[in-house]
Amino acid sequence: MRVFLTILICRLLRFAGGLVGKGSSMPGKVALRLCPDILSRVKLPPYIIAVTGSNGKTSTVEMIAHILLQNGKRVAWNREGSNQIEGVTTLVLGSATLGGRVKSDILLIESDERFARYTFKYIKPTHYVITNLYRDQLTRNGHPEWVYDALADSIYDGTQLILNADDPLVSRFGQGREDVVWFGADRFSSDTDTLCSAYDDGAYCPCCKAPMTYTSHHYNHIGHYACTACGYRRHDTDYTITAVDLEKGEMTVDGKYKIALALKSLYNIYNIMAAYTVASIAGISGEKIAADMNNYVLKNGRVITFSLGSRRGTLLASKHENSISYDQSIRVACAHKDGCDVLIIVDAVSRKYFTSDVSWLYDIDFEMLGCENVRQIVLAGKYVNDLAVRFSYTDISPEKIKMFEDIGDAVKHLDSDRAEYIYTITCFSDKGKFLALVKED
Amino acid sequence: MRLLHWYHDIMNLYGDYANVSALKRMLEKSGESVTVDRLSPGDSVRVEDYDFIFIGSGTERNQRVVLEDFKKHAEAFTKFVESGKPVLMTGNSFEMLGKTITDAQGNSFDGLGMFGFTVTEQNKTRQTSDVIYECDFLTRPLVGFVNKCSSLGGVTDNLFRVRLGLSDCDGSGSEGVRKNNLFGTHLTGPVLIKNPHFLAYIAEKLLGRAPATDYLTYENAGYEVTLSELEKRAAEEKQ
Repeated sequence: MRVFLTILICRLLRFAGGLVGKGSSMPGKVALRLCPDILSRVKLPPYIIAVTGSNGKTSTVEMIAHILLQNGKRVAWNREGSNQIEGVTTLVLGSATLGGRVKSDILLIESDERFARYTFKYIKPTHYVITNLYRDQLTRNGHPEWVYDALADSIYDGTQLILNADDPLVSRFGQGREDVVWFGADRFSSDTDTLCSAYDDGAYCPCCKAPMTYTSHHYNHIGHYACTACGYRRHDTDYTITAVDLEKGEMTVDGKYKIALALKSLYNIYNIMAAYTVASIAGISGEKIAADMNNYVLKNGRVITFSLGSRRGTLLASKHENSISYDQSIRVACAHKDGCDVLIIVDAVSRKYFTSDVSWLYDIDFEMLGCENVRQIVLAGKYVNDLAVRFSYTDISPEKIKMFEDIGDAVKHLDSDRAEYIYTITCFSDKGKFLALVKED
Repeated sequence: MRLLHWYHDIMNLYGDYANVSALKRMLEKSGESVTVDRLSPGDSVRVEDYDFIFIGSGTERNQRVVLEDFKKHAEAFTKFVESGKPVLMTGNSFEMLGKTITDAQGNSFDGLGMFGFTVTEQNKTRQTSDVIYECDFLTRPLVGFVNKCSSLGGVTDNLFRVRLGLSDCDGSGSEGVRKNNLFGTHLTGPVLIKNPHFLAYIAEKLLGRAPATDYLTYENAGYEVTLSELEKRAAEEKQ
């Protein structure tokens, strides 16, 4: 009876919340108060796939759901990206019958790195994807090793791990486990022998802390690494990106399946690869997956094309306090052969909590924007002075840089007859302020 | 002048490295020629050859690795500090100067013992906050960010008074340590860029005269924006 009532109330609240456009964590929060062990009382589907990691969770989950749905699977997933225990509870109860049975073949959960250990106590994933561990929201998360320890507590017996072999810290979760599924990338044409990053989180072995060496870097500390002392090294992969042609916008999986890329970033390629791996394990053929991922455009609002007067552009939603997210967006701009202008906005560091910390600007490899393809750099927002100081520590000529505290003034400046494409790089916390001033496609 | 950025590749969270870039720039603008050496654990080092030493913040595991190496240089480092040459240690790096560090599992590691404080870590809650700190040797407060999992006991040579944010232990109202011109603080990241007046203070210690500060337009403007945001926050917290 209690289960019945809790599910009923949760679903009513979810429905009401949907009407007024409220977030998805509140119904779950109420349900957990009514019945704290509700998650262990519902009957879950045979497949429970969880995805966590610093970057790409939402995109990866969206792509997994897309492939599974295309192939006739019934999937319950948290598309709102509300990934703490309350959000997951809303999802599970929202997809359950009043008798407490989740009505799908697969439950797909995006989980916050720090809260997974609490959520998975009640909902043990059958498959658990860990995409990467980067410096991310240090103002809340501490540092990658701190998050590693929190995630280690979320791995329970009977869960099969699906790990990014190219991330040295993530791979450590696979130490001493037999049934891990590994995905990763062979050498790309864009690989570098030396590190391209403002810092090196792959300098030391995550296991024994001796220095590590790399035979190739895909980006930042993601690549083919080996410890000089303890034998820890990149694991061979079960599912592999065998070739990437970013210029053409194409990746090849396992040497045979070609996927055209709607977004030409290495980042996106890893998300696709994680989704490919999960879908393969769920029994879908490589050919089918490749077809479903071909030119797939994410619907989660992370990449938005727009026009401003006669000019065209793309907003690349990046995460403040997450340097690799910025580095990836910068790489996309730098690869634009016809020439582009780049607008960077830091107005509110976070939308969720108070902070004015700008340390993370120094972890971003802004030096890359000195490349020829980038013609003008426009800085804007409340923290424009801090941006200007950060750029003064690059070799980029000051003539290439314009500053505006007011985002409106920056947009006015860009609304010119220049032919260059515009890339706007900013965070979810600030993107609305920009989009209100341009015409979204 | 010779600056040492010690343990640069392992105690390097949050853009700490930029403190050395900022100091190098100010000294050069003041007419000095400057070299920076970036050394790792295990590298041989002649501490006495330098005019300034910086060590940044690291993960708890990395701090343990560095502590073992750092203790080998305890005597030379102590002499350096006693000579009055400036040192800046940010984040958890200055914790190595205390008596002991006890980790979340209860293991205890000896520090340098330059100060009498003890450090106790926990692994449940990351303690983070924006901060405003004050001290007598600077006319303006310091702004910045603290990110730690430790609590200090028995601190006697405090560096800052806390106006907003975390203290060195719950409610102590003070933070960091000072001995001669060694400054140790849990402030992390580019502290000297965010606080151009603190940068000038340290540069003056090195130069023995007032450094060039006329180029700091954006640095000063950025400082004022952050300070005003944090003042607003402090006022809200009081209510």
